[in-house]
Amino acid sequence: MADNQRERELAMITQEFNYSRPGSLAEALKLIADGGKPLAGGMSLVPMMKLRLAVPEHLVDLGRIADLATITEDGGKIRIGAMVTYYAIESSPLLAAKCPLMVTAVHQIGDVQVRNVGTIGGSIAHADPAADWPASLLALEAIVHIQSAGGTRDVPMEEFLVDTFTTALEPGELLAAISVNADPAGAGSSYQKLVQPASGFAIVGAAAHVVRGGGTVTKCRIGITGVSGSAFRAKEAEAAIEAGKTPAEAVKGIASGVDANSDIHASAEYRKAMAEVYARRALESALA
Amino acid sequence: MKVSGSYTLPVAAETAYASLQDPALLAQCMPGCESLDKIGPDEYAMKMKMALAAVSGLFDGKIRIENSKPPSSFTLIVEGHGKIGHMKGTGDVTLNPQGESSTEVLYEGDVQVGGTIAAVGSRLVDSTSKLMIKRFFEKFATLVR
Amino acid sequence: MATTTVAKTEKLVGKRIRRREDPRLITGTATYVDDIKLPGMLHAMIVRSPYGAARIKGIDTSAASKLPGVTAVYVGKDVVDVGPVPCGASLPGLKVPHHHILAQDRVYFVGHPVAVVIASDKYIAKDAADLVEIDYEPLPAVTDPEKAMTAGAPAVHPEWPDNLAFTYHQDGGDADKAFAEADVVVKQRITSQRLIPTAMECRGVVADYSTGDKALTIYSSTQIPHLLRTLLALMLSQPENKLRVVAPEVGGGFGSKLNVYAEEALMGWAAMRIGKPVKWIESRRENYMCTIHGRGHVDYYEIAAKKDGTILGLKVKIIQDLGAYHQLLTPAIPTLSVLMLPGLYKFQNVKAEIAGVFTNAVPTDAYRGAGRPEATHGIERIVDMLAVELKMDPVEIRTKNFIGNDEFPFKTATGLEYDSGNYALPLKKAMEIIDYAGARREQAEARKQGRLVGIGISTYGEICAFGPSPATPAGGWESALVEVDPTGKVTVYTGSCHHGQGEETTFAQIAADELGVSIEDVVVGRGDTSRIPYGIGTFGSRGTAVGGPALYYALQQLKEKIKKFGAMMLDSPEVEFANGECVCTKSGKTVGLGAIAGASYRAMKLPAGETPGLSVTYFWEPPNFAFPFGAHIAITEVDRDTGHVSVKRYVCVDDCGNIINPLLVDGQVHGGVAQGLGQALYEHAIYDDNGQLLSGELMDYAVPRSTMMPWVESSHTVTPSPVNPLGVKGVGEAGTIGCSPAVVNSVVDALSTLGVKHLDMPLTSEKIWRTINGSAN
Repeated sequence: MADNQRERELAMITQEFNYSRPGSLAEALKLIADGGKPLAGGMSLVPMMKLRLAVPEHLVDLGRIADLATITEDGGKIRIGAMVTYYAIESSPLLAAKCPLMVTAVHQIGDVQVRNVGTIGGSIAHADPAADWPASLLALEAIVHIQSAGGTRDVPMEEFLVDTFTTALEPGELLAAISVNADPAGAGSSYQKLVQPASGFAIVGAAAHVVRGGGTVTKCRIGITGVSGSAFRAKEAEAAIEAGKTPAEAVKGIASGVDANSDIHASAEYRKAMAEVYARRALESALA
Repeated sequence: MKVSGSYTLPVAAETAYASLQDPALLAQCMPGCESLDKIGPDEYAMKMKMALAAVSGLFDGKIRIENSKPPSSFTLIVEGHGKIGHMKGTGDVTLNPQGESSTEVLYEGDVQVGGTIAAVGSRLVDSTSKLMIKRFFEKFATLVR
Repeated sequence: MATTTVAKTEKLVGKRIRRREDPRLITGTATYVDDIKLPGMLHAMIVRSPYGAARIKGIDTSAASKLPGVTAVYVGKDVVDVGPVPCGASLPGLKVPHHHILAQDRVYFVGHPVAVVIASDKYIAKDAADLVEIDYEPLPAVTDPEKAMTAGAPAVHPEWPDNLAFTYHQDGGDADKAFAEADVVVKQRITSQRLIPTAMECRGVVADYSTGDKALTIYSSTQIPHLLRTLLALMLSQPENKLRVVAPEVGGGFGSKLNVYAEEALMGWAAMRIGKPVKWIESRRENYMCTIHGRGHVDYYEIAAKKDGTILGLKVKIIQDLGAYHQLLTPAIPTLSVLMLPGLYKFQNVKAEIAGVFTNAVPTDAYRGAGRPEATHGIERIVDMLAVELKMDPVEIRTKNFIGNDEFPFKTATGLEYDSGNYALPLKKAMEIIDYAGARREQAEARKQGRLVGIGISTYGEICAFGPSPATPAGGWESALVEVDPTGKVTVYTGSCHHGQGEETTFAQIAADELGVSIEDVVVGRGDTSRIPYGIGTFGSRGTAVGGPALYYALQQLKEKIKKFGAMMLDSPEVEFANGECVCTKSGKTVGLGAIAGASYRAMKLPAGETPGLSVTYFWEPPNFAFPFGAHIAITEVDRDTGHVSVKRYVCVDDCGNIINPLLVDGQVHGGVAQGLGQALYEHAIYDDNGQLLSGELMDYAVPRSTMMPWVESSHTVTPSPVNPLGVKGVGEAGTIGCSPAVVNSVVDALSTLGVKHLDMPLTSEKIWRTINGSAN
């Protein structure tokens, strides 16, 4: 009783909820199929629970499922489990060597404490419109691996992101991993971000990934986050770069077709203008 | 916060106008609407369960229609309050016929939020409002006849 | 009697000594209010208004009351007889709304407390708070003070439809004549936006009522335990001698805990009513909504000068956003701005007006600087604008108008008497450190390359060490009690109530030096009204500057007594006290402090006319304020594409008189600069038109982090204050006061090639980007 009382006093003031910490993916999928809410780091979910904005009845902590927390390479594809922490990405020699954009991007997310606990799967499934990851994952043409009690399916990142806080995940489904291609020869990349000074979120974040060969850019991918309801690929600018245009030329009007958001930190107009600036900088850096 | 936009419905203006004031249809299309009961001329009581990402909350609200000018325009007022905050949306809705079986719906209005959702979610009010309006029209377009 | 007192000869005052309080603070072993756990303690959760203005049509507490574990639910009518939350400031014609501790029939701001739930734990209290049903009728609100002054604006308090709480006028000299004779007049509207103090520790209260002896103890995170005791005694009709206030470890305040809050009285009242201890701990969200904000000025400046740059006069209209109520000092804060208006300059003509305006927002009150940063920002901006108008260097215009070293004591146009100063000295030193001429050359080079580089100067003066009692609302003196135990250990009790400033170290340095004992043998106590003589508290850069001299004088009296005992014990009138012992100058025989202390308590024999024991209490009344000054220079560069401001160099030279511990002074300056930089670039408490606080969490309110700070090159000049024997002035607020105008002047200078003359804070990237792109604000 005394210990219990002590814990209650020290704890945050959420509503009451059930808590499971399954040891296997199969067990987790069953709990999620029954309506459990996955806890994958809790960097967004837990603050909302403290404010009672989120009141999940059943939390399914994925922290003990070892299979979800590995980074593996297989035939040029790098698979990153949903529960891989930002710190693990930041310190991965494999990613530093073969997909440096992941490492560049993760340095710019949150702070040390957040990076120690936050997971890539948790962030992507949450789909905050100002999250950093989507820009880089779009530029890398990442594939999202989804599992449910009924089986597995793969969805390209571009289709996975549907809208503000809305993804292609159906009830009962779990984001299990993402995979990205190892960089080919001649690859270059960069993530450039305008930081919201209070939260550290991206007001605008732009990721560029290019492949050069024979003196030209053979492939260019640009992902932009923070501007609108969800991150997007800047396909016209990609094509312009591939057609030999300079970054400054390519980024003109890069967000012109987007329904940009306004808030107390930045107007829609500023976000659109900054999308051009940061996309240009990301391209210049990727091509440097 | 100001919101505005347009959506094209695959019906004639008269049908669109009538449907936009049909409580049964509105109840089906309002995101999270659990019940909608007429409490007066052009006034309805509504219960909503808002759910977006991990955030969820129950809202008691009212919908009121003012300045009815069938079939071309009306003002829609939506109010709701719950434990996590309150909201009030006022929108002027204009219907422009686009041929026999197509109507452009223009809306222009103001969304005010208060309570916890305003204090900690101000950066998300804009994108969330747009999402809710989009969800409404997408559903509405599939049901309107 | 045995003693372990170690005598020492090395002087500690002036040395960089690490803070003795830090080990417990950084190892989590300090005791804050939330660490206090009393047997049978209950937990309170407050139900607050989500509306900026609303009528309360009904409150249903039945569901909350029925929840198992809930002890009580109280609403406004239960506490209607508790005295109002006090306003200590008095101004002619001031309108003072009755500030009940729980809302009665209306709410006036988001966060206004409406009901309180008291339960066996925090969870149950929160669950029950969610079950309290309040039927509100929302009313129109107004949060912009200028809008609130316009005809037809919603009335915050229906009884005062013009929303005007007071107007205040102060004239010095003949400003109209000065303006008529001027060659040039420059005018500018200059704002100081609402800020949130953001102390690391939010507020918290534990109230403990002893039903046996009818005594109430309040543990509160406060800067002013004694003033709180007096005012709570009045609010709760509890005899003051049966009311004890304890400020345990306090994690910062910046003025936000220089107050008496509804929750302090509410917890006391509930504990008395229930007969059990009650704890309330403020969440960060509540802290942002319900603890006072700072600044909130819209000011209209006009400056008149001759062609040669001689300033003739200043006219200022201040519109102060008061919020919905007066907290302890709310209406007094802008009057401090008026006092400060002459800055370091010798012009003798000032005309100032204040309009104090009610808004549907949490009250503003003292926040680090309290009225003086607003004034300094205004005058240092308008002087820069005058320099631009006259095509003068900002250094030249300042130097030309400084009060000369031979003009002290100097009577200012606002009625102050500056006792000392050497205003050109810190500016000169700052210019040397930053290589001003070189920086201007580099700026010219950068401009040729199209870069936007600016150099900004502020030379500030400060009124601090609050203060002479006639000039303060509650007495401006401070107390000290020094005791030497029978074993020779020393305890210093101060009536000031440090909460992060470091007096546990600096006061021990002073006592150790005076008594010639090791700093290890000195304990500094504060913050408990049952142990400490009545004191005023820590605010207004007064801890060292008023509490320090009180301690110094107590130590002098104590030394006299020690010498009398020493003379008795050495059996000689020729005795000196130094290095922790009395020495007979004739025989060379000595007796140590420990032995003297032991003898003084044993009292087998007493010196003629002396009393037993070694204990002295001293109350010191300062004859005047202290007047620190300094110069800050910031070099900034603006990113032309994004509007982002980077501070490339930041040099500050502060003159706070004699320095007791340079490490702590640098810490105060660095922290102050961080808060000044926060105002200049990032922070803004934003209310929407309905009274919703949109920057309601640290997610949306940008307090600068360490990575956002420039390297602060801090240096000093030393002009001792003549008002106290330590020659100290006070440095708690200096960094904040000096910083914001230096940064804004620098950014305006950077953008001056684009024709920019003024920018209001905060200088967010978007604001600068819009300015660069010609669609300002």
